[in-house]
Amino acid sequence: MEVYHRPCDEVGFNAEEAHNVVKECVDAVLGGEDYNQNNINQWTASIVEQSLAHLVKMGKAYKYIVTCAVAQRSAYGFHTASSCFWDTTSDGTCTVRWENRTMNCIVNIFAIAIVL
Amino acid sequence: MAERHSRKQEAWRLEQSAESSPREPQGQNREDKASVSTVSHVDEPSPRDEASGLTVRMENTYQLGPTRHFPVATVNRILKDVLTAYLQEAEYDPEFCREMTKTVSEVIKAKVKELMIPRYKLIVTVYIGQRDGQSILIGSRCLWNPKSDTVSSYALRNSTLFALANVYAVYFE
Repeated sequence: MEVYHRPCDEVGFNAEEAHNVVKECVDAVLGGEDYNQNNINQWTASIVEQSLAHLVKMGKAYKYIVTCAVAQRSAYGFHTASSCFWDTTSDGTCTVRWENRTMNCIVNIFAIAIVL
Repeated sequence: MAERHSRKQEAWRLEQSAESSPREPQGQNREDKASVSTVSHVDEPSPRDEASGLTVRMENTYQLGPTRHFPVATVNRILKDVLTAYLQEAEYDPEFCREMTKTVSEVIKAKVKELMIPRYKLIVTVYIGQRDGQSILIGSRCLWNPKSDTVSSYALRNSTLFALANVYAVYFE
């Protein structure tokens, strides 16, 4: 019986790469747009779906959870926190914050390793 | 940045809080902020050896799926109880809500852990915001195995604030 090695999981989740990939997706969807009530449903859906597609293309054996919050920029307060119970050697998370003149966008990515 | 790489071998709790505070509108159309991962509460961090980051190798259990599925209804009730207890009567206040988001997510995680569902990893996210007539949309997508993994969620609104709590449960095969 040969020992199967998991090449990707040995160094854990690469947050830098995920961060760059997702930032590009957000730029592509929201870049240069102004806040528009009619479109935000579609925008959040595209951001999340495109991020997921790009993350999967990285080819690592992970389950992904991608959350996106888009809010209008006004003098409001907004807090988010997350708490995770997992294996820290293989699982990881990354948060991307993006904003423009009219809106704020926060994307959270959680990646949980699949043991093959 | 370095803090993101420091982990322990056993599971511990990592808390990240991202906060948007009111700012004056900027002149430019687009502004990219570098992602800052703020670790505000960590149990016993220790430097992680990147070179030998081998994970623990588990023996094959020959189990095809979870023996006990994640009880979504029970967890929904837990979320509702915790959010109502902490936030139903609360007024929005920046300092208070900053602490509350972290506290509430820890409390929810502790209560769901008490259910002792074997082999499930948990992710609890909490959003608290001021109700000021502004518009916000929060969405999520997950790439997982829908037969074993699931999500549970509860939203609470009162006169000055809104709160959303999500629990994602991922089966560890």
